[in-house]
Amino acid sequence: MIFLRRQLPLLITLVTGLLFAAQYYVPHPASEQMLTSATKWLQIVGGFALILGVTSLFHQHAVKIRRQEAGWGYSLVLYVGMLGTIAVGLWANGKESVEGTMTAFGWIYNYMMVPLQGTMFAILAFFIASAAYRSFRAKSREAAVLLVAAVIVMMGRVPLGEYLIPLSGDVSSWILNVLNSSVRRAILIGVSLGAVALSFKIIFGVERSYLGGGKE
Amino acid sequence: MSLSERMLKIDRRIIFLVIGLCTLLPLLYPVGLPIKISSEVRGVYDHIESLPEQSVFLLSIDFDPASKPELYPQAIALLRHAFRKHLRVVTMTLWVSGTGMADQLVTQVAKEMGKEYGTDYAFLGWSPGGQAVIINMGQDLYSAFPSDYSGKSTKDLPVLDGVRSLKDVGYMVSLGAGRPGVEEWYVFGKDKYKFDLGGGCTGVMAPGLYPLLRSGQINGLIGGLRGAAEYESLIGQKGKAVAGMDAQSATHLAIILLVIMCNLFYFSLRQQRG
Amino acid sequence: MAAVQGGQRIFSPVLVAGPSPDWFNWNQLNNLIIALSFGGLVFYSISYAKRHEIFLRRIPGLDAVDEAIGRATELGKPILYLTGAHDLHDPSTIAAAVILGKVAKRAALYETELLVPHREPITMAVCQEITKQAYLEAGKPDLFKEDANFFITADQFSYTAAVDGIMLRKKPAANFFMGAYFAESLLLTETGASTGAIQIAGTDSDHQLPFFVTTCDYTLIGEELYAASAYLSKEPVQIGTLRGQDIGKAVVLSAIGIGIVLATVGAVTGAQWPQLFLDLLRDLK
Repeated sequence: MIFLRRQLPLLITLVTGLLFAAQYYVPHPASEQMLTSATKWLQIVGGFALILGVTSLFHQHAVKIRRQEAGWGYSLVLYVGMLGTIAVGLWANGKESVEGTMTAFGWIYNYMMVPLQGTMFAILAFFIASAAYRSFRAKSREAAVLLVAAVIVMMGRVPLGEYLIPLSGDVSSWILNVLNSSVRRAILIGVSLGAVALSFKIIFGVERSYLGGGKE
Repeated sequence: MSLSERMLKIDRRIIFLVIGLCTLLPLLYPVGLPIKISSEVRGVYDHIESLPEQSVFLLSIDFDPASKPELYPQAIALLRHAFRKHLRVVTMTLWVSGTGMADQLVTQVAKEMGKEYGTDYAFLGWSPGGQAVIINMGQDLYSAFPSDYSGKSTKDLPVLDGVRSLKDVGYMVSLGAGRPGVEEWYVFGKDKYKFDLGGGCTGVMAPGLYPLLRSGQINGLIGGLRGAAEYESLIGQKGKAVAGMDAQSATHLAIILLVIMCNLFYFSLRQQRG
Repeated sequence: MAAVQGGQRIFSPVLVAGPSPDWFNWNQLNNLIIALSFGGLVFYSISYAKRHEIFLRRIPGLDAVDEAIGRATELGKPILYLTGAHDLHDPSTIAAAVILGKVAKRAALYETELLVPHREPITMAVCQEITKQAYLEAGKPDLFKEDANFFITADQFSYTAAVDGIMLRKKPAANFFMGAYFAESLLLTETGASTGAIQIAGTDSDHQLPFFVTTCDYTLIGEELYAASAYLSKEPVQIGTLRGQDIGKAVVLSAIGIGIVLATVGAVTGAQWPQLFLDLLRDLK
């Protein structure tokens, strides 16, 4: 049992980890073919894994409806929305329009999903404003520098800003291209080294906590 | 509670209202301020300009309806430019939830420019796998997309004559709202299969892609609505992005004023408290 | 080959050549050497850390983990933990899952409810195992709930709307945002801030850092996310890895420094020799 739960997964991780790390250095068509096949398998496994997710989702909301917990009406909306969309999608064969005529599935996509997703993204503008008002205070010298840079970039990125302060466009471009790029590169170098180190630890079985099941 | 304290704890719905008005009013009463063209947007424009007629231009519409306000105008402007240059336009998406929108977008612009499906342009649709699709396309485009969105065999499309993989693409632009997007097209596409790559993204993501631009990994970047407005100005066909720039100007100014106000109240409170 | 001299024509024998694919990309040799050297360095640092004491700088964001869980316990409210937008292909998601184990263990000790909504089913299954183990290690297996980890949807903004709903209805006292994030970051953290929760973020998505820094109480920036498990566990293996990373960074930094000096000398004096070294550094990338 310990072999199946511990050693076998670690062995699979080691072998596949080394194999696919080596794949990067091998330009042979067989190596490319192996990568393509593996990614296709991953997609298939991912597809089946969705069943896990949907089961969890249905189970959780079914319990809420059965127990009539607070907000159980939302769970009912989820069931109706999900099953309704699946039924309509299957009926329309996944097509949003057939010979120029919009299907019911297309109607759901265009008049429900598109505006709802657009609304969620648009809320971002409002939240940026409220977050800026609440938190963007010159509490220290560093915060003051950030504040000035933010104001210049905000001015320089819109026509009105460039109209009012003509230099703001060039200065904001310099901030983005030079200061911003160099800082991001520094973060990126640190992140990449961290990711490579973590990958090494996982491949060689040094880091195992992601497997669950504790230490032997 | 002093005025400064009250103002610092202002109900955020008032801020929402200010931003809402700053967006709505300029859309109703546009001013039309001139737009300065940045070198990063010009990079994409100049590259398309330099392509000879009938070159293959691949556009990957890697966003969903959520990012439509910013990236849709970018896509329209790019397609208009490519069609006007008589390039062979091949479009696709790596985002399943953006497939219907991408189809509508490409069909609409092609119709407007009088282009014929199959000969002048094609929409390959969506294929599962995200970055794996890019690798597949680098090896064999027809294996990644055996058929187009309408189910026709891609091998029978005249627009793809002489195109076997990404190596045969003249220029490729990814309009990405996240992952997979511009970065994946570089790492799994350009780096491996060597083709010219440009990018477009939402305004929030643009600063994150500047390192790619500075190092020449992408040769141009259209960032957010501002980038779209610049591209519309470059091709001389002003559309929704240029119209939206007044609203964006007003909201930026409103946020700057809000930040200044909050700092004034903050310092006045600090002075009161000694 | 054919040659004509005067009236005489000479032909060389016909040779047939066919392309054969390589089994090794020699252009990537430098990359392989650097990767192996870095790997060796990490493992050497781990073995060094097992034998010696290594100083670890404190990270305020991680010190606040206990405070956040304690506060949730005092208020009798749940803890919300998000593992980000990516699946387990991404090291940041793995780091988030590892930290979840530590947070879950403390939540179990304090008997505080834990909510972990997911965007990816496989990550959910893995996190379920990690959480279960954390409750076992805390000696509270009876408190473990299978549905503490639950799936919402893979769609970015649908997920965001659902998590915002959970924040507004259940009002968790502590929100953890670990892993990779995109435009949803501010929508999540600003809603969390409006409910008065303590918020701790950790991400390698550099483009979202400004939003996290502005709206969260503590933010683990970039590689600090990967370092978090070392700080929380204090295990030599984890601390040794950090040391290896630091040495790696020092090497990169030195290369950058040398490159800057050489490029400047070349530009100022007009000499050609610095270019030779710069080309070497460029080839090593």
